[in-house]
Amino acid sequence: MRVPGRLTGVPDPLRDLRALVETLPVPSAPPTYTQREAALGLALLDLSLRLEHVPRVAEHLTLIDRGHMTRSVSVDVDLHAITDAQRRRIAAPTEPGRHGTSLWIPVSRYSRSDLAPVVVKDSTGEVVPRFTHRDSDRVTAAAFVRLLAMLIDAHRDVTIRDTVVHKLRHTHQRSRWLVEAALAELVTAGSLPEAGVRTPLDYARPLPPSPGGGREADARAVRDLALAGLEELWPADGRNGIRLPFAHLLSLACSQYMLIVLLDAAQPRRFLMWDAPLLPGRRPRAPLQRIAQSVLPVNREFVVEYETAIPRSVGAYHLTVEVNEEVSVRRFVLSSDVDDDFVRALTEDVEMLAEANAGQAPHRKLLELELQGIASRLAEIGRRRLTDLTSYRHYVAERRAALPGAQPRSMSGDEVVAALGRGDCSVPVLAAFAAHYAADGMRHLARGPLAGAALPALAAGIRDYQLGHDITTDNDPREHGAHAHWRRPSVDLSPHSTQPVRAVAYLSLADEAPALIESITRMVAGLALVVLGIGTLLTGGLAWLWSAAITPHSVPEQADAVVAVLLLVPGLLIARLDLPGTNSVLGQLRQFQRSLAIASVAVTTGLAIAAGAVHTDRGITRAFQLGIAVLGLILLCCLVEFVARRARRRSPVPRSARLPRWLRGTQRRAYAPDAVFDARGEV
Amino acid sequence: MHGSRFAELATIAAEAAGADTSSVRLRLIHGPAGFPPDGLTRPVPAFEPPLHDLAQWPSDFWLFSVAGVAICVCAWPTPAKVFSEPFEVGPPQATDRPDTYAYDGFSVPNPGFLNEPNRRIDALLTLNSSHWAPSYRDCLVTGVVLARACQLALEHGHGPVVHLHTPVAPFIDQQVSARGDGSHERLRDAIGPCVRLSVAVDPHEPTARLDFEQGLVALAEEYGLGLKLNDRRFNRVPGEWFTIRGFDRERYRQVRARMFPDPPMHLPKHAVVATVLGPARLGMAADVIAHLRATGAGVLAAAVSSVRKIGFVNLVLPLAEGADVSAPAWSGGWHDGVKLIAERCRLYDADGADHGDDDAFAGFKVALSAPMRCSYPQSSRRTGASVTGRVPYPLWLRWEIPNRTVGSPLLLSMVAENLSPYAEHTEVAYAQARVGRGDVVRGRAKLVVLLAQAPRDVADAQAVLNEVAERAQERTLEQLADRRLVGPGRVRLRLSPRERWLTT
Repeated sequence: MRVPGRLTGVPDPLRDLRALVETLPVPSAPPTYTQREAALGLALLDLSLRLEHVPRVAEHLTLIDRGHMTRSVSVDVDLHAITDAQRRRIAAPTEPGRHGTSLWIPVSRYSRSDLAPVVVKDSTGEVVPRFTHRDSDRVTAAAFVRLLAMLIDAHRDVTIRDTVVHKLRHTHQRSRWLVEAALAELVTAGSLPEAGVRTPLDYARPLPPSPGGGREADARAVRDLALAGLEELWPADGRNGIRLPFAHLLSLACSQYMLIVLLDAAQPRRFLMWDAPLLPGRRPRAPLQRIAQSVLPVNREFVVEYETAIPRSVGAYHLTVEVNEEVSVRRFVLSSDVDDDFVRALTEDVEMLAEANAGQAPHRKLLELELQGIASRLAEIGRRRLTDLTSYRHYVAERRAALPGAQPRSMSGDEVVAALGRGDCSVPVLAAFAAHYAADGMRHLARGPLAGAALPALAAGIRDYQLGHDITTDNDPREHGAHAHWRRPSVDLSPHSTQPVRAVAYLSLADEAPALIESITRMVAGLALVVLGIGTLLTGGLAWLWSAAITPHSVPEQADAVVAVLLLVPGLLIARLDLPGTNSVLGQLRQFQRSLAIASVAVTTGLAIAAGAVHTDRGITRAFQLGIAVLGLILLCCLVEFVARRARRRSPVPRSARLPRWLRGTQRRAYAPDAVFDARGEV
Repeated sequence: MHGSRFAELATIAAEAAGADTSSVRLRLIHGPAGFPPDGLTRPVPAFEPPLHDLAQWPSDFWLFSVAGVAICVCAWPTPAKVFSEPFEVGPPQATDRPDTYAYDGFSVPNPGFLNEPNRRIDALLTLNSSHWAPSYRDCLVTGVVLARACQLALEHGHGPVVHLHTPVAPFIDQQVSARGDGSHERLRDAIGPCVRLSVAVDPHEPTARLDFEQGLVALAEEYGLGLKLNDRRFNRVPGEWFTIRGFDRERYRQVRARMFPDPPMHLPKHAVVATVLGPARLGMAADVIAHLRATGAGVLAAAVSSVRKIGFVNLVLPLAEGADVSAPAWSGGWHDGVKLIAERCRLYDADGADHGDDDAFAGFKVALSAPMRCSYPQSSRRTGASVTGRVPYPLWLRWEIPNRTVGSPLLLSMVAENLSPYAEHTEVAYAQARVGRGDVVRGRAKLVVLLAQAPRDVADAQAVLNEVAERAQERTLEQLADRRLVGPGRVRLRLSPRERWLTT
């Protein structure tokens, strides 16, 4: 189970490190990490960040109620991707009497806020041994201590006397031990809270400096030197380029755990699976939307968004979702930010050029080179997104919906450039641009309209349309299941990146035919007929339906019989309906229909009361008139619900803010999902 | 911005964390060109402490050869020893070849130098349109250009110089008739008076990149240099260039005469190789070249690179006229090295300005070769293929081979040997190989061949080179398979007369 309130990301672990340097007791002896532990820790850190030995990941999700999801993860592991040098570092000590080598292999990373134990099994169902968190923390701490030593040894000041780094390395080692202890504490205990009370210093007034400046052996002096060392090794201005990478590495180490298993090196290809901790959902606040969904016949859908992170080196990722058999999956779309880094660099290039053009324009040939680089990348992105759009169009066409623009309008080169200059980076425009670019239609851009005032709008367009996000659609034939198969593009546009690919799955669940609304419509129609029949029999004709005149002697002589019919028939009908509990997804989907059913029964019950208690012709006539009117209104709601269901089925693009703008098009308003499940802590 | 550098940091640290690989041993060799590098790295030098059994194969190999002198570096992962300073270099050791000296070095790992997920900006500066025959004066201009270019990379691009070489193969667009593959790439000379540099810039700092490029344009305009930048259109590969401006001979001559009116205009006969080594840092090349230039030395040839995060600035400096040609090889600290270089190579009375703080050079070492006689290749005017074809042509080589199967020097020797039936002379002008991810050695090299049979014309030369490259490539692959040195399908090797074909 996940602990609420803890964040997975830490903005600045060096701030935490400084806080710990200020408060931890100053060590009087160096830490006792062995080189083997440090080598193991660094090798595990390296392997777990890249996960190049995991070519395939599959996740199976089961929505158990409206706020919880179970998740089963399976991975293929290929030990061939691990080199001999790495194997030597991650080899587990051989047990006496056992031959062969076993390796500690990281297969995933997950958030420290996930506290439930994870049991990893292989393809035979046998449980695979795991590295304990305690050991993992120890070797990670050893790794950071070793990294610190390396950074100090390679620092340019290490041989210059009286510099901070020289002191740390050679003469004032207690300060270095203090930094090492702070690193170990941070890795072991995790990051400090971001706000509020962080350290004991928050309870103490600042201490006055000791008279005379203090001695070098004082704790204050040791701490000051350690803090100066931190500033020297990782300067705040980032001039040596190491601050951010180190901070990122440290923040990952103190906010995530590695899932490390022991595998036999003799079996290089393995299949492993585990049940990840139960995932609680978050329900975004949208009070007006919730009320509208509950009281209006809008054919409510239950929308789930699942956020995950796929290791960049993974070639194939499968996401399977299973829901209650009575619930149907109406739409399932997976969107990942696999090209986002590439598009971000492209946008920044366009913005930079726009800015440069506003000042002193660059050399003409340089401008041409920049523009050609931008145009070629834009064309490639246009080609990729068109492939995605085509596959999405096919997907919705199979579901009897149609995306506008199936018959594209041909655009000339000038029209395309004009559209881009207006900031229109929709996929048809980019596709036309790609076609013109491929046909050498964009040879001299520096002299064209794209070089000048169009650039800021183009940059804004590329950013707005979220062109770095791709789309993968459902290919599962089942109605109550969904499956998306994401593949890494054959040409990776961000080949050097090791950042995980962030993916969001959009799942809309609906109550499809045979749905509750059909039964309720029949029931309401039946009740209306019963009321109509009784009313007609009592008044001797149908005129009571529209006439304000009062028919004499319309009070039933045998009121008990009428009351019995008005109570028994709805009771029998409603008992036949399968009304689910409110906490389930089905209950949420059928909330409005249930209200209709209850309202119709309430109407007939009211009529029964009237039949038993009212003894005037006027009263009974008006009661039946009111009853039939309300039933008619309920029936109308049922019909509107049918119309809304049809419209929703034919809606081409889900209204979700998590789907890229290039797919949503001009649609501005997005609806809040009913549940958001975040599994990004696991990479 | 540093989205993936944390992973690079973890990788470097992990590589350096093993007990047997926590430091780097290296051997630097200076000598006349043509030595078989294989002979100098096998058997493995007797280091103290000795190398681990599994580390007997060098993890990195680097070679640069020009003007009859060659520089070679091999690096091995090695156990740590008692720490004294980040980088140490031993005294010059004579080898069994004349005038060839080896320097053994030791370095601690340097995980603070991260440059991997960067965008590379390649620039090709043309310093002359004729064949490569640099006079003393040209050497001085080259020194100024190198210093300015490196300074631009540091101050405008905020990035390290990943590679810098001069002289390199020039590149000339051909507008009249396309080559057989439809490109406008003209047959290239093996070497020409050009500087090729590759600077790593942050992809998310495009302003720095443009500033750097604008600075290069201004530099090229000031000196009349030709400038090409790597064609960064999507799907373009290294070896494809985009011309920014052409070479302006008149302006170049004017600037040269104005800046250095006195130094002689003939070719240097002797040169020394100065290698500055130390933990790689941002701005290392800029600081070193600027400082050496300020001593009044010119630069005949240069090669800047890094091997396992150890920065190397290799400069072939023309020996001053009248300097002692029998001076011994030397190695030692930065300040003594600079003084010695000034003594041997001062060509004019430079300003001697102090460049930056001395702390910037802390930890740098200098290895200075004995003076060596220079030789210059025969070459046609503008391109090698104009009339006789009896000129050296470049062949580019790229390979991927499992580690600890065939060493890079041996592989280069095999390729050179397989080229020998078709070539009168073969020389490795540049080679770099390193063990990368997956325990695979990935290498690139440029070979210079002088064809045995003179081609009739340019078209014939192109056809012959294609044929020769393909045959040598196939023969080498066959030999690797026959000798069972590498398992089938585990080696990739591509030899081509066109650089950009290596990546496809």
